[in-house]
Amino acid sequence: MTDIAQAGPQPGAAGRPPGESAERPARAVPGQPDMWVLVLFEALVFTAYLAVYLFHRSAHSELFLRSQADLSPWLGTLDTLLLLTSSLFMLRCVQASRAGAFRAAMSQAFITALLGTAFLASKITEWALLVHGGHGFTSNEFFTYYFFLTGIHLLHLLIGFITIGVIICQLRRRERRSQEIVETCATYWHTVDLLWVLIFSLLYVVR
Amino acid sequence: MSTTAAGPATPPGPPAGSRLGRVAWHWRNNPKRELWFAWYTTVIFYNIFFIVFFPVTHAQPPPHPYWSDAQVAYWFNHNHDGLLIGLAIIFAIAGMTVAQNALIAYSMRRMSVSRAFGYSYIVMYSLSAVPGLLLLCVVLSVGAMRPGRDPAQVHWLYDFAFLSYIGTMGIFLLGSLVWMLAILLDKNRVLPKWFGYLNLCNALTEVVVAPAWIFHQGVLDWNGLISWWVNMVVFGVYTGAFIMLLRTMIQREDFGDGPLPDLRKDDRAKASALAGTPR
Amino acid sequence: MRRADGELILFWTLPVLAVIWASAFLLFPGFTHPMSPSMTAAQVAGFYRDPAHLSRIRYSMILFNWFGVGLIPMLMLLVMQVRRMAHRTPILSYCLLGCTAGGPTVFLIADLFWLLAAFQPGRDPQLTLMFNDLAWMTFTAVVPFLIGQSLIIALAIYLDHPDRPVFRRWVAHFNVVIAAALVPAAFTGLALGGPMAWNGLLPFWVKNMAIAAWIVVMSVALGRNIYRQRADGSDQRAPEEAVAA
Repeated sequence: MTDIAQAGPQPGAAGRPPGESAERPARAVPGQPDMWVLVLFEALVFTAYLAVYLFHRSAHSELFLRSQADLSPWLGTLDTLLLLTSSLFMLRCVQASRAGAFRAAMSQAFITALLGTAFLASKITEWALLVHGGHGFTSNEFFTYYFFLTGIHLLHLLIGFITIGVIICQLRRRERRSQEIVETCATYWHTVDLLWVLIFSLLYVVR
Repeated sequence: MSTTAAGPATPPGPPAGSRLGRVAWHWRNNPKRELWFAWYTTVIFYNIFFIVFFPVTHAQPPPHPYWSDAQVAYWFNHNHDGLLIGLAIIFAIAGMTVAQNALIAYSMRRMSVSRAFGYSYIVMYSLSAVPGLLLLCVVLSVGAMRPGRDPAQVHWLYDFAFLSYIGTMGIFLLGSLVWMLAILLDKNRVLPKWFGYLNLCNALTEVVVAPAWIFHQGVLDWNGLISWWVNMVVFGVYTGAFIMLLRTMIQREDFGDGPLPDLRKDDRAKASALAGTPR
Repeated sequence: MRRADGELILFWTLPVLAVIWASAFLLFPGFTHPMSPSMTAAQVAGFYRDPAHLSRIRYSMILFNWFGVGLIPMLMLLVMQVRRMAHRTPILSYCLLGCTAGGPTVFLIADLFWLLAAFQPGRDPQLTLMFNDLAWMTFTAVVPFLIGQSLIIALAIYLDHPDRPVFRRWVAHFNVVIAAALVPAAFTGLALGGPMAWNGLLPFWVKNMAIAAWIVVMSVALGRNIYRQRADGSDQRAPEEAVAA
């Protein structure tokens, strides 16, 4: 991610004419447009995964239903609440940063990270409980999907922690802060949240 | 540190006439001929690779991991000629892969990041060809060359070949991350940021393919719907993207040190003329 | 020039290496009378079980394992020579770098397979045959990086400054010939006997003699360059290129 607060030119999406001032006029999207390419692409890929899941679910509905009963809806709901709340704080962080209240923005960012960590802990606990209960990655088809989808999502969450780290670094600096980068990272975090909601609905709720 | 963005001294231009004449002119005069050499080598290699691996050898899409010894032996015998001829072609031309790595390393050299990025990439990807391509070719050749071999052994060779090819992950995982990091940190705008993020997607395909080492059937085995088919779509998009982006990079190259200039409309026409490609 | 940067030492490891490699080559009974792919499993197992052979196989392969990558310093000196040529970009030296990484690695794998075959000669002959096949196929057919290496060097020389070339043009022509000589070896999987088998004329004799010739000729050309460059100080000058190093 580029550091835009150099004297004048705005690198970022290719093709922006040099000399545009740092005070950006209304942009089409928050953050780098490039991040939205990633968001769209990842959404497509996840859609493909979920479509495959649904297709196989319809072929083995009895097995899937039975296995789903072993999932804890409470933990699932807790996870969803944690991530939704973290997104809320991320939103407030961006707003605070935009308004220039960098101290407040940083604490919001830290809280986001905290909630993300809570999600991580909850997920690992849930996995441990399942494995302990005899349901592993290779136990049956449903649990293969379960661990695969939640695993890939968790990986995206871990990357999300890196983006929060980038936000905090940006907010800390005095001289070369970039609102664009903050918003770009926030976009990514919201995507992680969105992906979880999709997974939660399909794995835990839809029966 | 020179920051001249005043482009290479362009010679008058290729003579009008046959395509061959234009190519010969470019070969002798175009200051970017080395870069174009690397780019065309890459494109040609992928075309040959695709033809050899898909219709000739039928090694891709991969056959099933859950086959019995007899089925595997049958596959080898059925594809005997295609395998041996196709893989021999790969043995002859696989040296072309170095051009792609060189060009990508060059892109990182043009960026404002440390030289270590480009060198890391070259070393990682040079290593990748051995377990990630050549072992498959050797082992499948050995599997095919003696139709009377014990099917159980042939099955071991089959597993060895496909797992090494599909399951060599780390190089592409970390290599993509190296390129991603270079692009995201770059201030010279050599490659667009969205492609930097696409490198992340490519790196993640290497995580998604890991279960191929565990499953013998289903969507996560070595020819599964998720670990092979969806992954291939991502990889295909990624490869197509970087081939086009490297082309644009070469067209924009000014042999300077600062930000790479954008391709303007009239530049585009001129650059195409220089490259000898019709618009 | 009395500059102790070690380049000359690296260069003069070459003849030592050549002696070691030649000895190991002659020591390995599978080379002195090249093994045919049409040998049966029993014959191959017999080859590895023969007490007269077993030690020679193991020691020659251990020697090859130790010294297999010994050519890399010379290859790096070549990369540096390519870097000095009048090219616009370092792309060709990057290509050469990539090729040089591949060659010795592949050779090491062949070496491993031979050592594996010799490790438990009492195994099922079919297994020994398989390891032997893997070794020979790897050693013979996996020539792409050697071909690439020669072609890249040739290309680099053709694109070099015509009046003050780093290497003379005949070196380029020579490399093209060598590359062509190596191509038939890639197709050895198609033949279990005759001139295209891995003990046959093209994949064994022509290929290995081509590699030997390449090592000798390129070493001499390289050595001449190194001494000439050290004498006239041109190795101190930055490579001719527009992009700032």
